[in-house]
Amino acid sequence: MPKNLGEIRKRRGMSVNQLASKSGIPIPKLVMYEKGAQEIPAADLRRLAKALYVDEWDIAPRSSPPPPPREERPARPREQKEEPPRKKKAPPKSPPARDTQIAHMLTLATRFGMDRVALEAEIGKPLDELTQKEARHWNGHFMRRVAEERPPKRAIDRKRAYLPEGVDGFELDYLQEQQEADAFLHFTLFDGQTFKGKLIGFGPYQITIQELSGDEITLNKLAIAYYRKASGVAGGAGGAE
Amino acid sequence: MSLGDELRYLRAFHGGGNLMEIEAEIGLEPGTLRYMEQRYRRVGEDDEVLTKIAAYYDVSLATLQYHRERYRKALSAHLHQAMESRATARFELRTGETLSGQVRWWDLGTFGLDTQDGRPITVVQRHAVLDWER
Repeated sequence: MPKNLGEIRKRRGMSVNQLASKSGIPIPKLVMYEKGAQEIPAADLRRLAKALYVDEWDIAPRSSPPPPPREERPARPREQKEEPPRKKKAPPKSPPARDTQIAHMLTLATRFGMDRVALEAEIGKPLDELTQKEARHWNGHFMRRVAEERPPKRAIDRKRAYLPEGVDGFELDYLQEQQEADAFLHFTLFDGQTFKGKLIGFGPYQITIQELSGDEITLNKLAIAYYRKASGVAGGAGGAE
Repeated sequence: MSLGDELRYLRAFHGGGNLMEIEAEIGLEPGTLRYMEQRYRRVGEDDEVLTKIAAYYDVSLATLQYHRERYRKALSAHLHQAMESRATARFELRTGETLSGQVRWWDLGTFGLDTQDGRPITVVQRHAVLDWER
């Protein structure tokens, strides 16, 4: 006999959220189906049956509405019994600090140039008298100090070019520097050809230069063997390598 | 020069064809050539595959095997060692030249070589290094 969708779902131990993600049916729709406010169309019935590992005819196309909530009855006043006032329990005493906690604290203290005596002076009591709770507090304190004093990590704000010959970190800095300086570069290609010109732009796989004649040439990185700053040429003035 | 670099050169010399089309023409699994061309680690262990590629590009199997031994990570290790030791390193380039000097910096695409002849730093493209002293 077909059962309500909600019953089957609960029997399977699934939440509405899980059923929604498994069946691909939005949660509001599922809620409507379960309430019986809307009939489940055949396509959704198939998806639900698959998600719940049941046959389509096991699910009632329209769930019967749940029984109305019981009328609220006035709560019966509870008989007040006079109870003796409870004794407040004293908080449990923390056991003495573990050796590993003390060792860790000493290691951390050495980072700040403190030996055992200096550490005890900072804490205000001998290490042997520390409780576990106190040791945890001080270890946390020193760990935070270490974290604060650590230099911030340099954010990686670039993406590596896709192909191995792409411009990477050092070359990027070098090319930017040369471009800002209006430097002339002398390029040697893999077949022995040479080109000289002012660096006017570059991308991950190409470098564009302007030759002394004014012609712009884009060199493919894969074709370049090496390059260097051209000597005898500065700030756009002519000259030979 | 790594096998990947050599394969990219060969593809460029053969008209810069599409990788998937070449793979289909050679009869390789899709992605085989792309993997070989882009990896930094040693690739091309299967000689049967290399033989097919060598036949397509009309080069010898030994050529591809030669480049297989000179993978990019091996050059990285050499550059790192040369930079740390500040020793003079020699690099044989595809141009036929041999450059020597101190490695000042290196990254994944190039390295800066101080040839110590009074000239500015030479930015050598790693894909142009045919061989190095090992």
